[in-house]
Amino acid sequence: MNLDQNPSSGGRTYTCSWCGLTSEGIDLSCPACGAEVDVRAVVTRSGWTELPGRRDMAKLQFGQSYCQVEGTYVPVADMNLAAGDSVYFAHHVLLWKDPAVAVTSMGLKGAWKRMLAGMPLIMTQAAGPGHIAFSRDLPGELIALPLQHGQTIDVREHLFMVATGAVSYDWFASNVWFTTKEGDETETHYPLGMFLDRFTAQGAPGLLLLHAGGNVFVRTLEPGQSILIKPTAFLFKDTTVQMRLHIERPAGTWRSWRSWGDRYFWLRLHGPGRVAVQSAFEPLEDNGRTIVDHSGATERRW
Amino acid sequence: MTDPHLPPPLPPMPQTSQASQTSHHAADPGAPLIRLQCQWCQSMNEPGALACRTCGAPLDVKDMVSDSGWREAPRIRDMTEIHFGASTCQVEGEIVPVAEINLGQGDAVFFEHHVLLWKDDHTAMSVLPLTGGVKRALAGMPFIISVAHGPGRVAFSRDATGELVVLPLHPGQELDVREHAFLLCSHTVQYTFIRVKGLRNILFGGNGMFMDRFIASGTQGLLLLHGYGNVFERTLRPGESIQVEPGAFLYKDASVTMDVEPIKLTSGLFGGTSMNLARMTGPGRVGIQSMYVHHATE
Repeated sequence: MNLDQNPSSGGRTYTCSWCGLTSEGIDLSCPACGAEVDVRAVVTRSGWTELPGRRDMAKLQFGQSYCQVEGTYVPVADMNLAAGDSVYFAHHVLLWKDPAVAVTSMGLKGAWKRMLAGMPLIMTQAAGPGHIAFSRDLPGELIALPLQHGQTIDVREHLFMVATGAVSYDWFASNVWFTTKEGDETETHYPLGMFLDRFTAQGAPGLLLLHAGGNVFVRTLEPGQSILIKPTAFLFKDTTVQMRLHIERPAGTWRSWRSWGDRYFWLRLHGPGRVAVQSAFEPLEDNGRTIVDHSGATERRW
Repeated sequence: MTDPHLPPPLPPMPQTSQASQTSHHAADPGAPLIRLQCQWCQSMNEPGALACRTCGAPLDVKDMVSDSGWREAPRIRDMTEIHFGASTCQVEGEIVPVAEINLGQGDAVFFEHHVLLWKDDHTAMSVLPLTGGVKRALAGMPFIISVAHGPGRVAFSRDATGELVVLPLHPGQELDVREHAFLLCSHTVQYTFIRVKGLRNILFGGNGMFMDRFIASGTQGLLLLHGYGNVFERTLRPGESIQVEPGAFLYKDASVTMDVEPIKLTSGLFGGTSMNLARMTGPGRVGIQSMYVHHATE
């Protein structure tokens, strides 16, 4: 949080530590991302920053519209869309809407690839004026990521909730995988999913909302700094952060124990850039079979 | 409705020399409550401490005990630090709390590997050799317990909303824990598991019949559990018993016995149906969780 005397504007300005927006500092929360202005960043001893506190009913401004975030347990994003503004979303997150708000489906390029990966094929779009609200099915945190003009962010699949019309949506192969073999049966595993979502603010600033399970922690990796995280706990990263599969074998294990944990799969995140994890994660499946191929994983045997 | 076989309700929790351990700032009755002895783990703390050094429980809030004698597990404040051996544990977040361990040289923690959230590259990993593990593996259980060695950081969390239950084990204490409920334990604690007789398909939904047993023999140890929903603890007196939903059972002192009893429901509507409750008989502590999911074993 920075409250500075700014003579040129004739008063104080406020720069949000979460999203970097500079505003007049007259509100209780950042108008772009909803983070409270009067709380200090909560940082763990190891350098992770907790998602900043957000007042219940905080309002996030975008275009002529705003989004009110309601509730703290499973937060609801309640959009008040102005005429001409639109949002798009994965259809299973829709909670309620005004009957007047029209919902249409968006065409997605390469949709057949998404079907193979078991991802939602249909992205849905809603245009103002009117109210439309979104929420997810598990307790957790709503992450507001205001994207500056030209800014891009990579997000793990299924976390996306809603984005404003100014944000473009694309996806790319995660390239984090390993193949196991037993007898004639080979199987390829994608600890992160086959694809990552990529969101870019094009032409104008945009707002991206994600929903994470449990609590959210963010840190900025220095150039060359790396950290190992559980792949299913990964949330998002700057495009500058490189990812690689890392296989760790604890000391004292036997090969015959493999399906019970003679190896751990990690995602190595390599700076520079911002990375985020969620504390509630799905289990990572491992059938314990012999790994015959992988996406250039590093390995460590203790 | 009262059961004539049950002993009378519990008296208030025993609180040794309460007056000397509870004080108010500057004799001001409106000042926050400060305790020297933690009501959760009984450890003593420095004057002025806001949270217990040994278990992280807030010391400046009222003890939460229901009229029926259940004590709420303390809600550990975000970023609270707990000390054990040459190491610390920082508790982060309040929806699905993370336990971040900064292991000192020579210290270690053990855990089931699927609870790992992140770690430093250089934190060394090994496994705990277990006797009788094959029997447990045959019952569909992972019998490998992983170990992380200091120096280095490693962090743990679970898959659903709940509470981190911090149970410092004083020398001589023995605790039985529902399988897969423990998050991590310090290496000075002896780990074994016991077979639960007659509880197959009842207590563990057919997936297992073991309980983890943690024994602090010579030195103080630290045990962290993850309970789904809210966690409550009650101390049973010798011979006192209580019936709990088996899926809600979280932990008990080894001195508490557990027997599953079928309850016949013979009204016309439910003719022939029965349900099972676990009868826990004291003396000792019993811990339950309010959200009793039957989570699948890995």
